[in-house]
Amino acid sequence: MTGRRLHPFTLLAIAGALPALAWILPAPIGGACTAAVAFVLTLIPGARLTPGASPGFRGIGVSPGSRPGLVVFRTALLTAVPFWVFLRLLHDVPTTIAIGLRITTMVASFVWLAATLAPDRLVEATVARGWSVTAAYLFAATITAVPTLRDRARRIVEAQRCRGLSPRGSLGNRLRALRALALPLVLSALHDVDERALALETRGMVSGARRTPLAPPPDSAVERAARWALLAACVAALIWRFK
Amino acid sequence: MSIRLLALIPVAAAISLALSAAVDAVALPLFLDTTGTILATALAGPGVGIATGVVTSAVNTLRNPTFWPFVVVQIIVALYAWAAARAGLFRSFRTAVPAGLGLGVIASVTSTPISYLVFGCTTTGGIALTTALGKALGLPPLGACFFGSFVSDFGDKAVTFALVTSVLHALPRRTAARFPWALRAIGAA
Repeated sequence: MTGRRLHPFTLLAIAGALPALAWILPAPIGGACTAAVAFVLTLIPGARLTPGASPGFRGIGVSPGSRPGLVVFRTALLTAVPFWVFLRLLHDVPTTIAIGLRITTMVASFVWLAATLAPDRLVEATVARGWSVTAAYLFAATITAVPTLRDRARRIVEAQRCRGLSPRGSLGNRLRALRALALPLVLSALHDVDERALALETRGMVSGARRTPLAPPPDSAVERAARWALLAACVAALIWRFK
Repeated sequence: MSIRLLALIPVAAAISLALSAAVDAVALPLFLDTTGTILATALAGPGVGIATGVVTSAVNTLRNPTFWPFVVVQIIVALYAWAAARAGLFRSFRTAVPAGLGLGVIASVTSTPISYLVFGCTTTGGIALTTALGKALGLPPLGACFFGSFVSDFGDKAVTFALVTSVLHALPRRTAARFPWALRAIGAA
């Protein structure tokens, strides 16, 4: 089964359980095992990243023939490497390995999650479960709003440069330039709020209203059992570690 | 919660995450990643501010997973911003900047134990480098960790408070009046 076909709750459960186990289990073996599992996940077909989704992803070597799994793997690796450098700068070798493996597990799990979790499927899954759609909406709406606002921010930066704004020089100059760049972005974003509110109202997004999912992602008994098993594993590891 | 306030949360969270483009352009060592949280709180109160902080951390976690444990800091920032809005501290830069500096101290005190216990003080490049500098200056590990957090947070939160003050004053009164706390935050109600 590919990552994209797994139920969104299963993806969240896996991405949450792996870092939890990395911190609970004794270092460095526990962290090494969880990091290995997380990196194997990044190689599973179905995970794909969009440019800007993660700091390590630059779209290098992405061609129609390239394997998306390798891109996710490489992104996880490139994101994790700086942490090892800074850890070594601050700590001795055993501490660097212990903390580094935990952080690597966390990074690889979340890079994989970012590549496999489709926000619209998460909203559908939440609606299908009968939970409040608000939390899923907030998460999905933010994910979709960020690239839009980033593009707008870049356009504002270019427009202000065309008008002669110099973002260099003294600290005062830079702070004034920052104000000139940030203010239009924030104000224009706030003007979007009314439009979004109207769109939500027309789609019946009022509290207490029961919604019908259009295409709920299938949630098999095996996946439900797997999620409970992950939770049980974390609790058991916690009890074993601190008994 | 009204639909308008619900719509404000993702917009405010996205503001926090999109401002990095403006920061990159001026090459200042700032994050401004709590701008949306402070702005949402000043406009709509602590509930909306806390929700914005949590959503900001959750979405930022997909870019850099080390952000998630610092969700506590976002909640404290929202509560502090609420107190500042109630006191009308966004009425001018003279009141907002010292309030921001105070938040910088509180944020660094809050983030230091998280950074120390969970990540061994290794979170983002800039903070790790200032922590290394603190260590080179002979500070103990926890002290170096606090030094790193303090250097990054102190100025950042003051600039963030000043920016939010600018936004609140630049908002047309009709727009501001649609949000329950906006006018009170700038001392106009």
